[in-house]
Amino acid sequence: MAHTPLNKNSRVGIVGIPPLDIIRHLNAVGAAIFDLDEPIVKVDIETAAPHLPRVYCAILRTAVINALHLDLDAIYIDVGPGKCDCALHVSTIFKDIVSIPVYPCRNTDTSAYGYPLSRTRMSLMEKFQKITRGVQSAKPYDLQKNAPCKPVAGFWGVPPRDFSLFELFPDRTHVYGWTRCMENKTPADTALESYFNPEVPTVFFSQSFCAKTALAKFLAAKHPKGLYLDIDVGCSSSAKAKIQAFLELSGVPYDLG
Amino acid sequence: MILADFGTSYCKFLDLSSPGKGPVLTPTKDIPRDLRVDLATGHNGKRFSEHYVNELTALARGGEELIDEDEYVLLDCGSRDIKFVAYRNGELADMGWNVECGASMGFTIELLERYYNLDYDQLPVPDRTFSVTCGVLGMSHIFDAVSSGISEAESVARFVKGIALNAFRFAGLPDTLYLSGGLCDNKLFTQSFPCRLVPLGRFVLLKGLEKIAEERF
Ligand code: SF4
Repeated sequence: MAHTPLNKNSRVGIVGIPPLDIIRHLNAVGAAIFDLDEPIVKVDIETAAPHLPRVYCAILRTAVINALHLDLDAIYIDVGPGKCDCALHVSTIFKDIVSIPVYPCRNTDTSAYGYPLSRTRMSLMEKFQKITRGVQSAKPYDLQKNAPCKPVAGFWGVPPRDFSLFELFPDRTHVYGWTRCMENKTPADTALESYFNPEVPTVFFSQSFCAKTALAKFLAAKHPKGLYLDIDVGCSSSAKAKIQAFLELSGVPYDLG
Repeated sequence: MILADFGTSYCKFLDLSSPGKGPVLTPTKDIPRDLRVDLATGHNGKRFSEHYVNELTALARGGEELIDEDEYVLLDCGSRDIKFVAYRNGELADMGWNVECGASMGFTIELLERYYNLDYDQLPVPDRTFSVTCGVLGMSHIFDAVSSGISEAESVARFVKGIALNAFRFAGLPDTLYLSGGLCDNKLFTQSFPCRLVPLGRFVLLKGLEKIAEERF
């Protein structure tokens, strides 16, 4: 499955969720994995401008910056139905701007790992940190840990570029959408991605300029208490105020955690 | 207890310890920097108070106090933003807050009246309109129209109508719209809406603060 000899000293970047076979291989050789979708390198996002339009998904602009600055040996990028066409085009750009092997792949894995973190009681920030870190491992979950809780709020969508908005949510917020698919290791499962719980007030989030804005807006309109929200690079104070007011006015009990 | 709504152009105050005394309106530029109130909302509110209430929350609570219906849409047009809450069966059903594209609409309307020396109460609602999504971008339509021979008054009126239509679409095209904010006093603006409009004045957020103060303090 792997195309280039990798070993425990190798540094491998991933964009999206490469298929489990690739992750297993990277884990087996002991390669260090860098999730390029996350802001790892602290430089101004505008430095991606020579390679990508400014009006482009901030996750992929971040991936470009990471790829340029991290000293990597290879990049695996999911360009299939588990990610998006934006990533497909970025894979073409990667091949031009970095001098390491870039391997486009298509994750169509269907073996469901479960999504205990998405449904447990834990700060939303920590939940997302754990779910996104989980991408780097192919180990099955200990399903005894992280028991499900009764939700009081919901967050639907991809992991945002700016996690600071999670501070506003109570601990009993369930995670839906692509992040739940991510935890389940089935990123192309559109039925799971489209699922929401109509009983709990839910924020339907999408990165600005992502095709998922359409699904987020559509589902928010279907949900009896849904708020559609798209955010670009960082969460502005008005976006935070909107979330705060939505949760408050929807009667989400903060004090219960 | 002093309540305040710190807006971009005007601040509104209410002293709960002086019942019967109504709200007071003061231009934001005249507010002393060291002023402190007990409970605040609005764009600049955090700087002046220990207890701050989100603007949308204050708007929604004010609407609950002032509107005796289970289903309604309440839109607040401020100097720098527009926001709305929609209620169904007595509960929040939708909301929106547009700071980016709603930027500076109210501010620009006021500025234009003074710049062109107009009186919005005297201007008729024009048949035509500009497509306006932002106060700043909308200004270029006015300059283009004036340079093409259309009168200043007609150009500004088209701009104001464009802003009203944009706000109406943002609020979800309701049959009846409750309006909050200083633009309630602008006849040209209020008459430009293609629906039944109920102006509630500029103290709706303050009313919301009053309700919150009763509940919390
Ligand atoms: S947020 Fe959307 S556009 Fe950006 S990488 Fe994810 S799926 Fe692609």
